[in-house]
Amino acid sequence: MTSHPPTNGTYDAASITVLPGLEAVRKSPSMYIGSTDHEGLHRLVFEVVDNAIDESTAGYCSSIHVIVGADGSCSVEDDGRGIPVDDHPVLGVPACEVVLTTLHAGGKFDTGSYFRPAGIHGVGISCVNALSTWLMLDVWRGDAHWTQRFERGRVQGPLTREHGSVRHGTRVRFLPDPTIFETTAFSHEVLAGRLEELAFLHPGIHIRFDDHRQQTSVIFQYESGILGFIERLNQGRTPLHRRPISITWKSENMELDLALQWTTAYGEEIASYVNSINTVWGGAHVNGLKTALTRTINDHAARAGLLNAENGERIATFDILEGLTVVLSLRMVDPRFEGQTKTRLTSHGVREVIDRVVGERFASVLAADPTLARLVVGRALDASRARLAARRASDRARFIAADIHVSDEVYQKQFGLRSKNWHQSAAWIANEELLARHAAMYDLPQGARLLDVCCGSGVVGHAFGERVAEKTGLDITPEMVELARRRLDKVVQGTVYDIPFPEASFDIVCTREVLHLLPNPGKPVSEIFRVLKPGGQFVVGQILPYSELDGPWMYRVFKKKQPLIFNMFQEEDFRKMLLEAGFADLRMTEHTLWESIDVWIDTHETTSLHRHEIRDLFYHAPAEARAVHPFEILPSGEIRDLWRWCIFSVRKPLG
Amino acid sequence: MAEFSGLTTHQHLIAAFQEEAAVAHRYLYFAKLADIEGHPEIAQLFRDLAEGGVCNAHGCLDFLRLEGDPLTNAPIGDTDSNLCAALLAETREFTERYPEAAEQAHAEGFPDIASWFETLTKLKRAHAHQIDAALSRLGSVGEPR
Repeated sequence: MTSHPPTNGTYDAASITVLPGLEAVRKSPSMYIGSTDHEGLHRLVFEVVDNAIDESTAGYCSSIHVIVGADGSCSVEDDGRGIPVDDHPVLGVPACEVVLTTLHAGGKFDTGSYFRPAGIHGVGISCVNALSTWLMLDVWRGDAHWTQRFERGRVQGPLTREHGSVRHGTRVRFLPDPTIFETTAFSHEVLAGRLEELAFLHPGIHIRFDDHRQQTSVIFQYESGILGFIERLNQGRTPLHRRPISITWKSENMELDLALQWTTAYGEEIASYVNSINTVWGGAHVNGLKTALTRTINDHAARAGLLNAENGERIATFDILEGLTVVLSLRMVDPRFEGQTKTRLTSHGVREVIDRVVGERFASVLAADPTLARLVVGRALDASRARLAARRASDRARFIAADIHVSDEVYQKQFGLRSKNWHQSAAWIANEELLARHAAMYDLPQGARLLDVCCGSGVVGHAFGERVAEKTGLDITPEMVELARRRLDKVVQGTVYDIPFPEASFDIVCTREVLHLLPNPGKPVSEIFRVLKPGGQFVVGQILPYSELDGPWMYRVFKKKQPLIFNMFQEEDFRKMLLEAGFADLRMTEHTLWESIDVWIDTHETTSLHRHEIRDLFYHAPAEARAVHPFEILPSGEIRDLWRWCIFSVRKPLG
Repeated sequence: MAEFSGLTTHQHLIAAFQEEAAVAHRYLYFAKLADIEGHPEIAQLFRDLAEGGVCNAHGCLDFLRLEGDPLTNAPIGDTDSNLCAALLAETREFTERYPEAAEQAHAEGFPDIASWFETLTKLKRAHAHQIDAALSRLGSVGEPR
């Protein structure tokens, strides 16, 4: 630790030296805890919890108890040694008071821990004190229970000996100051998530979390460590190999604990930690891992004769990452991070060490287990070849588009695969409110005959409920036809370019988010016009850009998600297309819907490279797109996009 | 005053400007891909080289601005002229270049690329309006009361 408590002065003098420090924290809290929003608020808790974790790493604490009180306060209690209560030799003030009222004083009393988490910012518990309306300290140490109270960082009375006690430990209770924080409501999910993470990273530790606001109590205690963690992350995914690959390694100043498991999912999930700090943006350790995996898998594939040497075939990093889940926990002395929030590791030399160690160990794992090697290398090769095939899919659709005959096969393949978890593959698909908005456009008498084209699972047609007498579905994909039969009265397999029904067969046709996937969309629209009776209604929902300003940016995002996108409609295009087909009485309603793009891009249609590029497009969206198109990037890196749904209704004229 | 207008050197300066501008953007694109593959030092190399490319392109403009805009040949230099040159270029893009490109893409059987050009056409139209508005604001500031 770089700073020390002041070394001169009496109690009064010391408090004069000390208090201005905490006033600085109250004046510019963001400089110390990163922000005063949701994130900064939770950092207070983690700062205290990390002190307890420190004690545990040093071997003195086995149990941590976190309570969120009904009054919005937080209590963190451990069974560590207890903060020293004897007078500081120089200051003549109890050491615990120095810790709570002096910036960076915590490390002074820390003797056992080597790889310190030191809180996210290492600012110490005094920042928590400074930013709390009140803080109550309880210390059980020696043979007694001691208490002291603070308000906004100021001592409210001397350290008091309550009574004798044989236990040991520390409890910090505090109420975040509402004049500092934008919100003072702790999130149950955020706290539980981090506490569970810590329990996995510190096998054996017992962490209890009580939330009195909702009368819940949960205990996190895992002996399984990061192997258990990876199983948790892969819940709901199908692992490619049953046992995660585990690599552990230790040197004088570094310890690596790594678990890898490939699944049949498409996304990648890399949870990386340095001294228990979650490095959300990765950095040197993650880059070293990627390089090592790429090199080792390519070496293995080349030796096994799996690569086409003639055309110089090579498996790219993003193909190797597809479906990969990683938990990487690194402990090291004095790590260096980038930026205020410390979420990217930048220490020199780490990348090379991880690259070498993981490369060697992973190569021997593959050599020792030919079955595993075949699965893992085969998975990466599949991803690599699928990426090329995805490129060809849009190529093939293009050639056929020239004479407006669209290849059924291309669409059947793309959507057939996704049908298995269709409703999970995007939040909008089964969103009740959005479906209700489509049905609300209905303005025909009861008893109409409805056709849902490109019906998918049939949810849109189904949403019209009792308003219509008979619901028919049409889809090109056999899997979807099967799925839609659960919701619609009758489902036919066929193409929207040549709807297999005679003229004037239906009173209403509906569809949603499909015309952008079709070359020459005017043709299917005219087919819909044909099968409608005069006076019939066409209801169609479509995600559109907010204006021309986010158009090109959104085009890139959507095209990378789905190679079959042929039209980035804007509102004026869509209106024009409907009216040109002969429709009239155009009405439109708008509905916005938050969508986590992590769900939306996690399908086989989106290659690993494209998933990365999509995220990058959000991180670096041009100002003109950001000005009109709302989206948010959460601290976890998750991206949520607000989609603009436009629902159009048009009528086929009577005459 | 430069006297290279219309000479081969003028053509070379325009070509060098286009080349260096393209260098900058290709390298920024390559840097993103290097980042994804986990090669931050190569990404940084590309970003540094891109920065050099920007400086070089500007170096070409240092000469070219004496003769006119390399894209439209209109005078450039002061903000008023620059806005006019920008408006000229954007207008040409949304009225001729991109609509024609879209039409051609449709004819050759690339509806997705046609849609890309149509999307750009609309953006360029919006840009032209923004520049036009800026030009009138600038004009009204400059006018004596």
